Amino acid sequence: MGVIGRPHGVRGLLHVHSYATDPTDLARYELSDERGRRFALRWRSEGVAELAEIVAGKPVKIADRTAAEALVNVRLSVPRTALPATEDDEFYLADLVGMQACAPDGAVIGEVQAVHDYGAGASLEIGRVLLPFTRACVPEIDLAAGRMTVVAPAEVDAR
Amino acid sequence: MTRSVWKGPFVDGYLLNKAEAAKASSRNEIIRIWSRRSTILPQFVGLTFGVYNGHKFLPVQVNENMVGHKFGEFSPTRTFTGHSGDKKAKRG
Repeated sequence: MGVIGRPHGVRGLLHVHSYATDPTDLARYELSDERGRRFALRWRSEGVAELAEIVAGKPVKIADRTAAEALVNVRLSVPRTALPATEDDEFYLADLVGMQACAPDGAVIGEVQAVHDYGAGASLEIGRVLLPFTRACVPEIDLAAGRMTVVAPAEVDAR
Repeated sequence: MTRSVWKGPFVDGYLLNKAEAAKASSRNEIIRIWSRRSTILPQFVGLTFGVYNGHKFLPVQVNENMVGHKFGEFSPTRTFTGHSGDKKAKRG
């Protein structure tokens, strides 16, 4: 969800790069890093945040620059269960990437490697194929099983 | 210099024919095009094009808001790999 950047000032503030759709959303979650440490974040200005490490259930503020320097490049993540529920026909990219794509007859086509959206609707990259993320092409998605049914559209060349 | 209004929007002629055929067939199909320079016309709304970016055909689902833009605007030629974070994709 984000990564900690360089320290800001001498009071333990840090630049934090948020990958959330709304960058300020990062403050709503309890964040954790790869080592299992948990953090609470509070934005102080645009891109600059105050971090507190949660130790035994209590927040311990990062209060000086030396402690802040030790956190540079730490990647912050949020458990998938902490994210709010989506609307109908809306899916988190984190859920879609890695899903198994199957043909209607059950044959495995491949794995979703990436989801692209360049302003003209989302598309799924499955192997070397790009498919539009529409009901016609992806009629069924089983999030629990990590599988989706894919109907490859006909392709017509226009030259 | 901007294009003269009296000329109308530029679109490669064969695209119109293909789009009309696709609308008539109403199949689940992608029209693969190389013409990134063509303007998106109201006739294309609802169709899905695969616009070549020099490497692969990126699916472009045309909607009303895209009319007047060029196809190439929706098929970037350079790779951008962002972070998924809490981003969502809506099924069209």
